[in-house]
Amino acid sequence: MRGEKLSPAEVAVKPKMKTVKLIVVGFGTIGRGVLEVLSEKRRLVRERYGFDLQVSAVCEIDGSLINHQGVNVDSALRLAAAKKLRDHPDWKQKKSLEVIREVDADIVLELTPGNIRTGEPGLGHIRAAFESGKSVVTSNKSPLAKSFYELKALAEKKRVLFGYEATVGGAIPIINLYRDNLGINVVRSIYGILNGTSNFILTKMFEEDLSLATALKEAQELGIAETDPAYDIDGTDTAVKLVILANSIMDRHVSLEDVSVTGIEDITLESLELAKKHGFAIKLVGDVGSMEVSPRLVHLSHPLNVSGTLNAIMLDTDVAGTLTLVGHGAGKIETASSIFSDILNIAKAGGCGK
Amino acid sequence: MKIDMVLRMRDVPGMLVKALDPISRHGGNIISVTHSRDEVDAVSVNVSFKVKDQSSLDLIRKELAKQRVHVFRIEVEGRKYYTKKSLSYILIGHVIDTDIRDTIDRINTIGLVSGIEVVMTSPKQKSSVLMDVEIDEKSDGAVREMVEKICAEKSFLLLRSL
Repeated sequence: MRGEKLSPAEVAVKPKMKTVKLIVVGFGTIGRGVLEVLSEKRRLVRERYGFDLQVSAVCEIDGSLINHQGVNVDSALRLAAAKKLRDHPDWKQKKSLEVIREVDADIVLELTPGNIRTGEPGLGHIRAAFESGKSVVTSNKSPLAKSFYELKALAEKKRVLFGYEATVGGAIPIINLYRDNLGINVVRSIYGILNGTSNFILTKMFEEDLSLATALKEAQELGIAETDPAYDIDGTDTAVKLVILANSIMDRHVSLEDVSVTGIEDITLESLELAKKHGFAIKLVGDVGSMEVSPRLVHLSHPLNVSGTLNAIMLDTDVAGTLTLVGHGAGKIETASSIFSDILNIAKAGGCGK
Repeated sequence: MKIDMVLRMRDVPGMLVKALDPISRHGGNIISVTHSRDEVDAVSVNVSFKVKDQSSLDLIRKELAKQRVHVFRIEVEGRKYYTKKSLSYILIGHVIDTDIRDTIDRINTIGLVSGIEVVMTSPKQKSSVLMDVEIDEKSDGAVREMVEKICAEKSFLLLRSL
């Protein structure tokens, strides 16, 4: 593992390092991205913050890697890539819920893909983590869109912390920015481009005159779009993120049913051509003010006119004025940035290292 | 005080006289009138005149509103006093076949459709229509409601400007 070994001199002078124990639930694209970054940055975390990040368990659908001294991250990544995770010496036939309840850890990373309507299996994982006194960091939108206030209350009751920066805007630190740096502001409105796939498709249609079907196919070939991109195209994914922003930043107490959603499926090349001629682009915009997801005309010079898979979020505040954040809304490494931001915040807040 | 006004009105005979009448009737002394026919189905008229006070200006504006003459901009002594807001919409659907005249007329009861461009690939296909609509700041909500209602009724996909 790169950067793993401390020299004897370092060991001698440094006080005993606090260990932050993690359980990784979900070892798909995001989970692997997190462990890749962990492997790369473990030394940096030690030097900057004085924490040793240790993975106590990694849960997959049919079993888990468990090691109280720490799972070897590199071998787990290697075996997962070869689809041979079951050959790992730490492999146990233990289900994720049991692992979350039984394995000693500080933070559960809930990184499974979720069912938008039910919030499962993430919802159950998060509840179980809180119930057993563990903090949670998640990239999973569904449980938040479904039960934000319930989970928030449960975390408070159990005196644990809840980080969900990665659920909206990938690498863009919107939720923590608001919480940590905009305390004096009242946020009047939030709107943004919150789905990279649809933005990629609209950009391709706008710039290269490709039909929606061709642009979508290209997105799938490049691995940008999911095999089933329905939620990206019909606006549901943007709506879910809108609900999370509305509740976590504006305390609006809303759910998915409160969002009026129109997707990009009926956008024609002629309409894009017409928009361009008059100085506009067409973008799928989520607007918290009107609780609406719809394709909108965005001036070419407007800060939300970002191209390709980029996301952009605008906050309209009373003191700071308008803030715009632009960044990568997806990608396993980029999303890991937000996940680690939450992990480090929780570790710094003293919720770990018992 | 000297007033410069930009008026927008439908391009029909007698409209200009009708628009200028309230100005002279309320004591406005007209200095110059220029007009251009660059808009679709509408004319833009720049009129400069002198009135004795604010209340005369208010009366003139009220009268113009009654006559369905849209005041786009007012300058008082060379300073911006009032200006309209311009919104753009794209409608996608069978916009022509569903009586585009009716669509425009209904929007015109609140604002003024000052520009329109249609792209139609073939009569059977959906067309895309861009409309520029000028409105008073305060009728923002009303015009949006009207446009949304028309689009729902006629099954258009509506794209509003941000």
